[in-house]
Amino acid sequence: MDSPMFTIVSDAFASAVAYRLDRGGESPGRWNIRGVREMEAGRSTAMQSGGRSRVQYGVRLKRLVKSPRLYQAVFGIGLFFILWYLFVDFFGIWRFAKLPKLVESVKEWLSTDPVFGVSLFTAEYYKHIWASLVRVFSAFAIATVLGITIGILMGWRRIFFALTFPILETLRPIPILAWIPLAIILLPGRELPIIGLTFLAAFFVTILNTLLGVRAIDKVYFRAAESLGMSQWQQLWHVIVPGALPYIFVGLQIAMGACWFSLVAAEILSGSAGLGYKVWETYYYVQYPTMVITMATLGFFGYVSSAIVRITGNRLMRWRSEMLAGV
Amino acid sequence: MENTGALSIRNAGKIYDPEGIHVVAVDDVSLEIEAGEFFVLVGPSGCGKTTLLNVIAGFDQLTSGAINMDGTPLASPGKRLRPGPDRTVVFQQGALFPWKSVLWNITCGPVKQGRISVEAAKKQAREFLARVGLHGIEDQYPEALSGGQKRRVEIIRALMNDPTILLLDEPFRALDALTKSVVQEHLLELYDFSPKTVFFITHDLEEAIFLGDRVAIMTTRPGSIKKVVRVDIPRPRDHRILTSSRFLKLKAELGEAIHDEAQKAFEAGERELA
Amino acid sequence: MTDQSVIITKSGERRSAQPMRQLTSSNRFIRWLKSLWGLNLLLGTISIGTILLFWEFAATLGIPGLKDVPPPSAVIAAANDLLVSPQYWNGWLLSFERIGIGFLLAQLVGIPLGLAMAMSRPTFGTIFPIIELLRPIPPVAWIPISIVFWPTREQSVIFIVFLGAFWIVLLNTIGGASNIDRVYKRAALSLGSQPRDLFWKIILPATIPSIVTGMAVGMGISWEMVVASEMIAGDTGLGYLLWQSFQIGAIAHVIVCMISIGIAGYLSSALIRAIGGFATPWLRLH
Repeated sequence: MDSPMFTIVSDAFASAVAYRLDRGGESPGRWNIRGVREMEAGRSTAMQSGGRSRVQYGVRLKRLVKSPRLYQAVFGIGLFFILWYLFVDFFGIWRFAKLPKLVESVKEWLSTDPVFGVSLFTAEYYKHIWASLVRVFSAFAIATVLGITIGILMGWRRIFFALTFPILETLRPIPILAWIPLAIILLPGRELPIIGLTFLAAFFVTILNTLLGVRAIDKVYFRAAESLGMSQWQQLWHVIVPGALPYIFVGLQIAMGACWFSLVAAEILSGSAGLGYKVWETYYYVQYPTMVITMATLGFFGYVSSAIVRITGNRLMRWRSEMLAGV
Repeated sequence: MENTGALSIRNAGKIYDPEGIHVVAVDDVSLEIEAGEFFVLVGPSGCGKTTLLNVIAGFDQLTSGAINMDGTPLASPGKRLRPGPDRTVVFQQGALFPWKSVLWNITCGPVKQGRISVEAAKKQAREFLARVGLHGIEDQYPEALSGGQKRRVEIIRALMNDPTILLLDEPFRALDALTKSVVQEHLLELYDFSPKTVFFITHDLEEAIFLGDRVAIMTTRPGSIKKVVRVDIPRPRDHRILTSSRFLKLKAELGEAIHDEAQKAFEAGERELA
Repeated sequence: MTDQSVIITKSGERRSAQPMRQLTSSNRFIRWLKSLWGLNLLLGTISIGTILLFWEFAATLGIPGLKDVPPPSAVIAAANDLLVSPQYWNGWLLSFERIGIGFLLAQLVGIPLGLAMAMSRPTFGTIFPIIELLRPIPPVAWIPISIVFWPTREQSVIFIVFLGAFWIVLLNTIGGASNIDRVYKRAALSLGSQPRDLFWKIILPATIPSIVTGMAVGMGISWEMVVASEMIAGDTGLGYLLWQSFQIGAIAHVIVCMISIGIAGYLSSALIRAIGGFATPWLRLH
């Protein structure tokens, strides 16, 4: 049961770190102190209002502007683009000359009549975005429903676990992409294999994280529920499902990332539309500025979809203290 | 006064055998607890008192002896009565469901069992909360409460189920001394308001004498009963009795015994069993 | 002693308590069966066995879709084929080689960078945002750029492996190093340690568990990347072999490759975990 635990920890840290940046507060070294401060400041107010008020947003904005954080970020990101420009556009050092140029790419993206036919203003761009989004969304939705259900069943009922776990553990080490041939054979058409592959990636991750989430619930809560006279079904609803939610949502974020990863690969290998397919096509037809556009778009939607999952999780788990305790 | 909840523990024994190491947790314990009595069991960490409580509650089984409640069997080797609202537990580390509001936590027991309507439960809950000085917190989540508040809520949650026996497993262990003294008084208030048989375990002798009708001292592992003493301080009690001569006499009487056990436990490097 | 217990509640009503559970059993086999291990083994064997049986006779049973997949017997035959072919073992070697180099590079770059970011606030504030901008782009999408940039195929594949593992290593290192309880640092300082002692004796060891975690996950991701790169843009290696077998319609071979890669991935993860356990003796509690 190690791999999912590690996956959880890794992405939990990722989201925790990103979470901290988003708060506009102090950097890593002072996390623990920050948590203590929150407690002293009286979290109950925030808890009661069930969210953050306008005043608090304004305060956070002011703090952000005053802190060195904002300027460091601007510096860092700016540095990246400056280096890109210098190495590729301006000097063309060594093999950097072969890479897509920054200025060209940006111009292409913003132009109303792009050289290679893809920009913010063309329908082609949105056609590919839409194709990818539909696939990711459907695969993710099915994987979520099935994965969480099975994961909870596995954590709840020993027999179910014993029946399903061996198969799972046998299939899990196989890299998702290695399934492409089988997916193409078993699933009809062009769309289904791609969606199926994307589904598979998210499916494994979700099951395992859900299972871990159920297992991670402190046994004392089950004892308390028993002692209070709750039936098995009541325990399922009121202890298992809410208790496993933190791990489930971390798993869902990872699953979202896994979805995009397998989607891109699957589209490259067998697609005819979509952002992944487009990346390969632009390579093949030497349309490098468009390649950059597509990659950046992929990054954008990947980030946004993960963020949506994360925020949904935070909404559903409002009872959690701001210290991200436990995960 | 009710006469239910009499607990009869006869030669109870519990031996753990993890990895072949024979660990005697509880060794031939015999106690007769009267109905409606506030009984306190004191002992050093790891002496087996939590094990005994778990057996009474139904989370664990005896390997020898028998426990009866009101004449009907509760536990015997290989058999146990499932945990239930007749013997609710207040846990040491706190077991308020963090994902539910305080009000839900308190009312979930009777409501889920179908014994009482949601409205009536809420009313009763608010009454209890008012009694211990916790107004208006019912819609908050447990994380927002302080330690002392959480403990009171958990005690109320247990009481709402109208248990025959109330089991408390070192409930105030994690509180600081000042909060502890306040919450202890609240517990006694609740006890006076709705008397039940209480089985309370702790490592704090003063707490035991302050709260209990009778105090039993348990030896360090293997745990057996060393001494049982009646606390004849009248109720209602408050913190002022802590310096009364009767209290100090009792403390002296039991102090040596418990200190002895503490010394032995320290030398044996005992760690808590659970 | 009765089996059904009766409780008299406060109000005087009689309620039957839940029946007692009989837990001891005389038959040793039944007891072993009921023990966790026995049950898991039995049911696991049953479930895998059932699936293999269905698979084997899928063609005759007429199960749609599954019947186009070569049955286990054909897979075993293909395995016999492949296990003696030098191309197959060469594939193992090459894939492992790429993983090794890419993974190692990811550690060499990621761990120091992560430590630096965790220890210095300005460094973190400068570098983290751009990391967060680049990370969501799936490494597979970097394949074309990698091919364009790097002079050889080999290097481009290694770069993708590096990229995949790098993000994980970095984040885990940062997370581990920043979560060190301040108490430890304060204890060290009050005991008179110098900054370099602080780093080597407190920060680094305390971060190692997270680094190992990052390595284990990174290893899994590395395998995904290697397979992806080899399938898309390679001409040797297990992933390439898999894709090639598919192209020529040798599906049984495809399945053998799938299993092989799975085993290889599992072995490398296990190796990492073993090394990790070795490096953190203080975590091996009972």
